[in-house]
Amino acid sequence: MSAAAYLSVDSVNKRFGGLQALRDCSFTIAQGRITCLVGPNGAGKTTVFNAITGFLRSDSGSVSFNGATLDGMSSQAIVRAGIARSFQNLRLYQDMSARDNVASAVPGQFGEEPFGALLRPFRTARELRRVNEIAEATLEHVDMRTQGDTYVRNLSYGEQKLLCIARLLATGAGLLLLDEPTSGLSGEALERVMALLRRLQQEGKSQLVVEHNTRVVMAIADDVVFLHQGHVMAQGTPQAITSDPALAAVYFGGTI
Amino acid sequence: MDFFLSYLALAAIYVTLSLSTNLLVGIVGIFSVSQAAIFGVGAYITGYCLVNEVMGFLPATLLAAFVCLLVNILITLPSLRVSGDYFVVTSFGIQLLATAAFTNWNAATGGASGMPGVPPASVFGIELVEVWQNLSLCLALMLVCCLGFYLAMHSPWGRLLRAIREDELAVAASGKSVLRAKIGVAALAGVFGGVGGSLYAVFLSFIDPSSFDLNASVFLLTMVVVGGARTLAGSVVGPFVLLALPQILTMIEIPTTVAAAARQGIYGALLIAFMIFRPQGLAGEKL
Repeated sequence: MSAAAYLSVDSVNKRFGGLQALRDCSFTIAQGRITCLVGPNGAGKTTVFNAITGFLRSDSGSVSFNGATLDGMSSQAIVRAGIARSFQNLRLYQDMSARDNVASAVPGQFGEEPFGALLRPFRTARELRRVNEIAEATLEHVDMRTQGDTYVRNLSYGEQKLLCIARLLATGAGLLLLDEPTSGLSGEALERVMALLRRLQQEGKSQLVVEHNTRVVMAIADDVVFLHQGHVMAQGTPQAITSDPALAAVYFGGTI
Repeated sequence: MDFFLSYLALAAIYVTLSLSTNLLVGIVGIFSVSQAAIFGVGAYITGYCLVNEVMGFLPATLLAAFVCLLVNILITLPSLRVSGDYFVVTSFGIQLLATAAFTNWNAATGGASGMPGVPPASVFGIELVEVWQNLSLCLALMLVCCLGFYLAMHSPWGRLLRAIREDELAVAASGKSVLRAKIGVAALAGVFGGVGGSLYAVFLSFIDPSSFDLNASVFLLTMVVVGGARTLAGSVVGPFVLLALPQILTMIEIPTTVAAAARQGIYGALLIAFMIFRPQGLAGEKL
């Protein structure tokens, strides 16, 4: 493990019954970079996300972030430590406005428990305005300034994808784990998400991105981690990974 | 006139219970069918305290609210481990246990024959014997509960609760504690239930287990469904409409034996019709 590792996944194993989902899985990602996690379906990409973010307890191995271990921490504590993840199926709050979706993720809100909300109503009202302003600013950041009042179910799929990223940004996390942020998108919507990810990188957000689209990987990735059957087969630049014929064979259904 | 004032007072009491049910079932999505149990605990505590002259109405109500807060947290906790449909079944069990306790704990509740002779409430030295006095008390406490509900909904906590109803996993992934938010909402719902129970005991001066059984829980759910879930207006409209129904039925020329059965039937039919044709109720949002 290099000393500069921002996130370090070290020999993580996870078994579901007879399925070894993660097998001695190890990789590191560097701060300020976009790392794409690639691999065929069922390679364990989402399981890696779950293991990093505390949604799953791994059987063995450890994960550390910014020099401190995450082992045994709750998923909430891991978000507070600075890692936020999105979901493949978005998991937005459909019956709430885009603003509320984002605002709900802003950390440390006053009046987020009954005592503050009921006994200090004026302070709570001020806080609500403050948080809503943060949410508006975050929406503007992902080019959705005018959509604050729109309910999620009335947003286009591309906008929902952007909103997911906005909700992650609202947590203030330094490392974003994005599960297929571009899947199902094409044309302009795809370009918007790619441009956003690059812009976030320039602003210092590190990203670990599960991605299937090779063109997207080539365009945004600084590093690529290639996962196969729960094991990291290779880590390197996008050029190195895509030009490896053995990996290409695996990716398109072969075995090694 | 007294008849109409009694209707208003009873409706005001049921508003606090409907708010309690709405918080759990509507706002945060914990489908509880045991809210009448909490209602009963509140009523029996105040009834016991007043009948046995342990303390006055106001301290008894505070005690009832506090105990209901604790009990409601306790009976809502399973919702953290068992989700959705499974919690409904768990909550059924809790309701049956509560009814068994109300019916058999003779020393405290008077058992199946109930607890007669609960004295009227006495507030700041004034004994509330007139109906309008009781109505004032019920409306005052109803307004306090409505204010509490409103403030809760217009706070970051309220937003968090609505988010939990939609997707607990996403809430956890945003770094928020689902457990803490749910304990808070169970506590507030418990307080509302306790206050409602307390008012019910002094207003009717007689309580028995049949007021707090599974039918009563379903009645509370019907209020939320008909009034409209997830809004303050819905929780206020529901009780006023549903409690008016039996009075309206009395104006129709049908024998009293038929009327009682007809009432149950109408509640059932309303529940079904609203769920199918108007899931947002009269003044609410979809459950």
